[in-house]
Amino acid sequence: MSNHDEFDDKLSALNALKTPVPNEARRNQALDAAMLAFDAEQKRVTQGNPLISRLSSVFANARRNWTMDNRLTYGLGTAAVALLLLPLGYQLYTSTAITPVGVPPVTVPMQVEPTPLGGEAAKVATEEKKVEVLANGTASVETPKADAEIAADSLDNRLAGSTADAPVEEGEADLAVASPTPMAEAAPFADADAAGKPLMRQMIAPGTVAQPMTAGVQPMMEMESFAAPAEPMMAMPTDPSGDEFSKFAESPVKIVKSEPVSTFSIDVDTAAYSYVRRALTDGWVPEPDAVRIEELVNYFSYDYPAATDAATPFKPTVSVYPTPWNGKTQIVQIGIKGYVPPVTEDKASNLTFLIDTSGSMDEPDKLPLLKRAFGLLVDQLGENDTVSIVAYAGSAGVVLEPTKGSDKTKILAALDNLAAGGSTAGAAGIELAYQLAEQHKVADGVNRVILATDGDFNVGIDDPEELKTYIKGKRESGVFLSVLGFGQGNLGDDTMQALAQNGNGNASYIDSFKEAQKVLVADAGGTLDTIAKDVKIQVEFNPAVVSEYRLIGYETRALNREDFNNDKVDAGDVGAGTTVTALYEITPVGSGAELNDPLRYETDAAAATPDASAATEFGFLKLRYKLPNEDTSKLIEVPIGRDQAVDSLDKANADSRFAVAVAAFGQKLKGSNYGEMSWADIRKLAQGARGEDEAGYRAEFMGMIDMAAVLRPNVVNAAPVEDVEAIPVPVPEVVPAN
Amino acid sequence: MQRSFALMPQFFENRTAAPPTMADDALIAKAIGGDRRAFGLLVERHYDFIFRTACKWCGKVSDAEDVAQDVCVKLASILKSFDGRSAFTSWLYRVTLNAVRDMQRARSRRGRNVDRYAVVAPDEYLPDQEDSAAAKELWNAVRELPGQQRDAVLLIYAEGMSHAEAGVIMGCKEATVSWHVHEAKKTLRGLL
Repeated sequence: MSNHDEFDDKLSALNALKTPVPNEARRNQALDAAMLAFDAEQKRVTQGNPLISRLSSVFANARRNWTMDNRLTYGLGTAAVALLLLPLGYQLYTSTAITPVGVPPVTVPMQVEPTPLGGEAAKVATEEKKVEVLANGTASVETPKADAEIAADSLDNRLAGSTADAPVEEGEADLAVASPTPMAEAAPFADADAAGKPLMRQMIAPGTVAQPMTAGVQPMMEMESFAAPAEPMMAMPTDPSGDEFSKFAESPVKIVKSEPVSTFSIDVDTAAYSYVRRALTDGWVPEPDAVRIEELVNYFSYDYPAATDAATPFKPTVSVYPTPWNGKTQIVQIGIKGYVPPVTEDKASNLTFLIDTSGSMDEPDKLPLLKRAFGLLVDQLGENDTVSIVAYAGSAGVVLEPTKGSDKTKILAALDNLAAGGSTAGAAGIELAYQLAEQHKVADGVNRVILATDGDFNVGIDDPEELKTYIKGKRESGVFLSVLGFGQGNLGDDTMQALAQNGNGNASYIDSFKEAQKVLVADAGGTLDTIAKDVKIQVEFNPAVVSEYRLIGYETRALNREDFNNDKVDAGDVGAGTTVTALYEITPVGSGAELNDPLRYETDAAAATPDASAATEFGFLKLRYKLPNEDTSKLIEVPIGRDQAVDSLDKANADSRFAVAVAAFGQKLKGSNYGEMSWADIRKLAQGARGEDEAGYRAEFMGMIDMAAVLRPNVVNAAPVEDVEAIPVPVPEVVPAN
Repeated sequence: MQRSFALMPQFFENRTAAPPTMADDALIAKAIGGDRRAFGLLVERHYDFIFRTACKWCGKVSDAEDVAQDVCVKLASILKSFDGRSAFTSWLYRVTLNAVRDMQRARSRRGRNVDRYAVVAPDEYLPDQEDSAAAKELWNAVRELPGQQRDAVLLIYAEGMSHAEAGVIMGCKEATVSWHVHEAKKTLRGLL
């Protein structure tokens, strides 16, 4: 079709073009950046491939402890995949005769160490990963109209091969997908794209056998274009699945008689909420592990009565009210609010910013946002305070020697000079930061290192376990650590959480200037000024009154029963004025909502309960905390009595209704096994409980519900993609087309 | 069809040949397996290629440097998606071209004013002095083409590929490439 014309001559002038020699410095910089990225990548080996990550979750415990060499995990995962896919791939290879159309075999096969067949299987695995990436990808087409035409063109061409006159109808693709037909060559190209949607081809290629599932995983079906101009997208750094979250299973319903005690550490982080908000705002549903319900609930502050003095920094508030999603169960809400020091008391703070300046930070929502965020914080500092800045990865070293908080110009100038993408790997960044923090340690004040990063933890200590130990050690010395996460695509949420927890700090995710304002100005006290540490909650339920219970959220914070009294076990920390909320869904005895059948041989435990008070209490709440400078914990005990219960949701106060609405939202968003409510009902519940909402956070939450309702409509058997069995069991029999 | 097992015989043949030490394939396999040095060597070896390609596509040295760095960084995470179905350079072309597009898209999203405010003169990458003004004009016109038309034209005329080769890189059929070239010529006709 290349008819020669005047343009060919003109255009061939392009061939004569000489390109400049690459600049050596930029070249080295790029290579360094690549190595950093490679190191980061090696740390999160299982990323992006649900197949492998599922398999490697066998090693979940080992991973959590970070003792196992990641490469080994990866290798094992891959090997397992290979074993599973080997026969399948081979069968497909032997039973199909599909040859490339118009693609010359310029292929250079990859050299793979194991046996040829193993290599083939690995190839299949790669294939699937690609499909996955594509499913998440946001391929957009630059000139939809032109592309649509040509798509039609190529469609025709292809159909001409076998079923030339078959009418191509909209919606046929669905049929084709649902039931693979023998017309393997032609059928897949039927396609519903005529409506001008982005051209993602649906095709059933025998090679992509991981697709027997249907409902709920629509995107998985949309695969690489292959005759069409929608170019296959390479994995993009902004790919949502690039962020790393620790996996956890939802806490199950427990039977009070067999497990009456529930223990957990409080969690004051709010990172999950801002991450979810960002995801929804950008138009995608966050992965289930990104939705930590307790962090969603704790994002909002609730009006619990505050403690009156620093010696007893908080007092718990308990209320019991009916569950909105289940008429027969009740919610037990436990709330605490941290003591707020009077404004007159100006605690000296010694803050060290440890800032990631790796190349990946060079995006508007990362370093520039970070600068403005810290600018906000600096604005509030005064004569008493000290600030130092250390950068790592990229332009490394001490950027600002400890400087008085009143010298704002100097601090802001230093912040402003930070640039991402330098070429020196910043060794010892974290040690440097702690060293500075310790030099200028203020007794009786706030000593804190604030690490800001987009997920690149190349802070000078490579081994994550060692890093945690290091931070733990520094915590003993009174320097705490907070982590602020920025951007997406590279976010090591799991590492962020782990570091902040080990450093007696909190992890926040800054997705916008508004969030920066909330974390660093509005809640600055809570973020910076710890009033109690290692706060643990233990609830003992009364089997005479409660038959089953379930803790909502806090999966990643569960503690062993015996850990409660063990002061060596670390737990969450509470900052000044912070509110923390925990929700239990309980099933009262005799309500008929029990999920577990009664035991046949059980003796009646209730009858054995000696105490008369037992019949009037749901349970007993115990709370342990340590003052910031102490090592021995103190205990607070409160019964959860019937007198704290109200009999209808309307009688519960607005904060309670709002908290439970947020919990319902989180459960629905992550496809929880419990508590089904429609988006409209959740919205209504939250709407009626907005209260004053001066800062507008609750109003914003309304917007998130609406967004979620659009992205994940009500009628879901919302099997999250992860749960879908990716190993294809029924292999579609493929009959070669004639 | 891209996803073909018919290529497998080739695969066997190549297995029997001793892999040349440090060939791309070996490096890639090692790098995917987590070998840091192999990855370093690989990126180092191909940086110039990436840069030059980016340079032709963007027409600006500074942009090309940015794109090249992006691609290098991206390689760390996407190298494992290279499956050996096409030559590594073809694949790299594709990655680079996509990166160019991403950059240009991102740029058009946030602020077209960057250049306007640039203090230094825009470092436009000019064809050699002896090239005529017409050549320069041609370059600019080609770069203004819609993405795929531009890709097709540059691959075929600047890189001297066949339509089929270009098709492999662009992930479409030969006929589609020809169509893009055809469309490009139509567009250019008005401009040149």
